[in-house]
Amino acid sequence: MIRCENLCKSYPMGHGRKRVLEGVNFEVMPGEHIGVLGRNGAGKTTLIKLIGAVEMPTSGRVICDMRVSWPLGFAGGFQGSLTGYDNARFIARIYDRNYADIREFVEDFTELGRQLKMPVKTYSSGMRARLAFALSLAIEFECYLIDEVILVGDQNFHRKCHYELFEKRGDRALILASHNAEVIREFCNRTIVLNGGKTTAYDDIDEGLAVYNTL
Amino acid sequence: MATLRAGWRIQTKVISALMTRELITRFGRENIGFLWMMVEPLLFAVLVGLMWTILRITEHNINVIAFVVTGYIPLTMFRSAVGRSVKAFTTNSSLLYHRHIKIVDFILVRFAIEMIGGMMAYIFIGAILIGLGILPVPADILYLILGWLLYCLFTFSVCLVLAPASEMSEVLEKFVPVTTYVMIPVSGTFTMMSWLPQKVREVLYWSPPVNAMEMMRYGVFGNRVTPYFDATVPLVVSMVLLPIGLTMCRRVRRTLVVE
Repeated sequence: MIRCENLCKSYPMGHGRKRVLEGVNFEVMPGEHIGVLGRNGAGKTTLIKLIGAVEMPTSGRVICDMRVSWPLGFAGGFQGSLTGYDNARFIARIYDRNYADIREFVEDFTELGRQLKMPVKTYSSGMRARLAFALSLAIEFECYLIDEVILVGDQNFHRKCHYELFEKRGDRALILASHNAEVIREFCNRTIVLNGGKTTAYDDIDEGLAVYNTL
Repeated sequence: MATLRAGWRIQTKVISALMTRELITRFGRENIGFLWMMVEPLLFAVLVGLMWTILRITEHNINVIAFVVTGYIPLTMFRSAVGRSVKAFTTNSSLLYHRHIKIVDFILVRFAIEMIGGMMAYIFIGAILIGLGILPVPADILYLILGWLLYCLFTFSVCLVLAPASEMSEVLEKFVPVTTYVMIPVSGTFTMMSWLPQKVREVLYWSPPVNAMEMMRYGVFGNRVTPYFDATVPLVVSMVLLPIGLTMCRRVRRTLVVE
């Protein structure tokens, strides 16, 4: 379970502070797939970063007893100057996994072939997405944090993600930040609408999307 | 207890993974970079030693090159460790996506590489210069090691304060290179306490690196030098700086913006 309690986050801006989140409260249970809806700049990425402990809340707290992945997006998590293999080895070591297993899964899932011997900074965004997903799936988290922008891959990649995340790992929780109705319908079974620094949860996807469309 | 052991296991894994990564990104796969870390102090010491010999600055009964080497290797270690701790959190921020990695790990890893590099340089250069008969075989290796450890402890505690401080203030970042030059006279690198007037000695007594340096020099040259040191000065200063640095790191982590 993950529980956000009164989560607030503000950043210094000029002489004042920009308040991004102003008291966010919600819970995520194992197996739930939550779509976080919000306009650009509503604080979706910030919320995901706080849940992933990448940044610390200004006040409030995140209580979490699941193994949560790092936020899967384009930025972060990788070292651009290192190769795909080096990154895989590094991540295997810090999450205390067997590198040989991870390597095999990554080669199989990403289908990147020789490209894995190149520095990650030379990868296209689709290739980065493949690598990020492969690594986080190989480590077997209990909750996946996903920034929608990363779901840019081709059909084949989409199908693989769907299979690995929903058919093989249906019991895992998922938090997906998005402003795309189709993606939310495809991947989620609950939504949270983020507006003005506050969240409202909707158990019905269509209701959540309807509210989001009026924003 | 079990969670503590698991935490320790993860932390040691994280630190060794970070070390490998730092070594690859800094020196590349060919180890020429690491070799350079040892050659540079040697080159400097030989050049300064030659200059001093020609200018006949030395009037003491120890070899100039030997004297310069014993001072310059620790100083290089200090300066590069301090230099690399500046903005260490920002440059490594993409790694903060992985929750096992703590910001103190960044400082620890960067410092450890400088410390190991410095030690290897000492051994490498020492072996060459002893072979050439320039440097004596250390008179009392225990003092050399203790002095080096105190020097390192002090360096680490300075890094632990500077790293978070450099994230808090832009100005500080600009001042660090100048400061490391200005502090050369109070680092004991190119002078010994016994060469200085009593008044100056009383002031330098409070400098942690001077005390550690005198210990190292005594360890190398033995009775050929008259050392003045008090190990409690670097020890106490470091013990004061360490908790301050850790507290600052905690505070900076709360507001750190990760891209």
